[in-house]
Amino acid sequence: MGKSRRSFNASRRDIIFATLLVTPALAVLVSLSIYPLLYSIQIALQTDGPTGPTWNLANFRRLAGDNFFFAALAHTFIYSIVALTFEFVLGFGLALILNSTIRGQKVFRAALLIPMMIPAVVVGVVWRLMLNPNFGAVNGVLRQLGINTEQLTWTAAPRLALAAVIAVDVWQWTPFVFLVLLAGLQAIPQEPYEAARVDGSNALQTFRHVTLPLLKPAILIVLLLRTMDLLRVFDQIFILTEGGPGFATETVSLYIYRAAFRFSDFGYAAAMSFVLLIITNLISTVYIRLLQSREDVA
Amino acid sequence: MRPNQSQVIGKYLVLGVALVLAIAPFYWMLTMSLKREVDQFANPPRWLFFSPTLEHYYEAFVIQSFIQYLITSAVVAVAATAAALVLGTLAAYSLARFELPWRLDRKLSLWILSTRMFPAIVTAVPLFLMMRDLGLLDTRLSLIIVYTGFNLPFVVWMMRGFFVEVPRDLEEAAMVDGDSRLGALWRVVLPLVAPGLAATAVFCLIVSWNEFLFALVLTQTDQAMTLPVGIAGRVTQYEIKWGIMSAAGAVAIIPVLAFALAAQKYLVRGLSLGAVKG
Repeated sequence: MGKSRRSFNASRRDIIFATLLVTPALAVLVSLSIYPLLYSIQIALQTDGPTGPTWNLANFRRLAGDNFFFAALAHTFIYSIVALTFEFVLGFGLALILNSTIRGQKVFRAALLIPMMIPAVVVGVVWRLMLNPNFGAVNGVLRQLGINTEQLTWTAAPRLALAAVIAVDVWQWTPFVFLVLLAGLQAIPQEPYEAARVDGSNALQTFRHVTLPLLKPAILIVLLLRTMDLLRVFDQIFILTEGGPGFATETVSLYIYRAAFRFSDFGYAAAMSFVLLIITNLISTVYIRLLQSREDVA
Repeated sequence: MRPNQSQVIGKYLVLGVALVLAIAPFYWMLTMSLKREVDQFANPPRWLFFSPTLEHYYEAFVIQSFIQYLITSAVVAVAATAAALVLGTLAAYSLARFELPWRLDRKLSLWILSTRMFPAIVTAVPLFLMMRDLGLLDTRLSLIIVYTGFNLPFVVWMMRGFFVEVPRDLEEAAMVDGDSRLGALWRVVLPLVAPGLAATAVFCLIVSWNEFLFALVLTQTDQAMTLPVGIAGRVTQYEIKWGIMSAAGAVAIIPVLAFALAAQKYLVRGLSLGAVKG
């Protein structure tokens, strides 16, 4: 057997064949992701001068002094950290509670699919209806409980709007964390648990020394995928608040969108998108390092 | 450890609350799509008792252009899924089966995955300019091209996982019997991974159907708008037509629900890009 059982021992003909199969896909990916990135660098670094376009750092200098950009960045971080925390704690909690065969599990799983599978635009519509201060169901129910809802204008209130859009994200994506972690829990074999019981571990010790280490890959993947999605959040906020009221829920993606497609300021939008790209790359690199170090130990 | 009665009751209580929280907002939208205006703005809210009407569905899909958005969404999703499946499956087979020099097979796989991690807005700006230069703005073709690129990394990773699980002896036997390598892939391997292929297709369809940012950026008029963009256009107008919006939203989620239920078995695997095999 070779070093890896899944692969053929590639002859020269095989290598040519393999290359031919990969090439079309690579060509598409290069023209739809590498080329646009290079193009983006070009428009970020070029500004129109009196003698045609010149290369300079004007867009990046402007960015460094743009308080709105940093405010949008701050909103994005707050949004991501708070939403991720709630989604992880709630999703993990639900997975631990339900990690045993109970009746009706299939129905429950199917129902929880709904929020995360439907178009984000529809999620926005659903919650605009729910959170409408006058006829929305949320305030309607609160009023029936005898609560004064005059101040609770949700997405129209500067102080509440960010919390409201975060809550909608938590509503939509907690099921995702739950489903992946539940699958991870159910893939853990019984033997380590029996060994822990023989050793006389209590529930907390078993959780710390058996469940957590074995679940670590699934946890890291769920955190990685959620973080990447949260940092680029656009759709629901666009529908729910369009970044408002004022600037209260403006995230980086919305701010870039506005610069490019409302004000046709493509160079500046490209410069900002690079900052976003670098941030997401740094964060995903940390996650992937953690994942790989885990595999080396195992 | 036998779970005692209060533990079981507690579990079902948690379940029940989670279920209501997940479903109630959709139910509310559904009622809004079926209510006359008097009932829509009623206080306290009417959850159950109102006289239903289909007028908003009629208005959206017969009088306004939502039927056209629906058709565009379907055409774009199916075409982009088909293209990504063909290109991605071939690439996945190659990356799963052959060791390329300098471990290029592994490096390429990781690079392909990394293209999916880009925030969409980063490529939206240059892709808009590229499509403008090509004269493809406001066409279905531009969306089909972009969504194909969007779906490709996903197809490669999912299908690579499925191919790795097929023992290679089967292909070698077929090749001894005189099949070419491509023939063995077509006649022996593909039938074995057919369920995985179907699940992958379903995921691509859902992602393409739901996509919003690129559709918003690349289309402007009714001729190329997808359903999410059509809905969004009605939301941000001066006067919001709640009934029409709800009716369109309700219709937009039907195919997604059907597909998601069909692919439930592979759901976790798909959602985690093949990393967690649920």
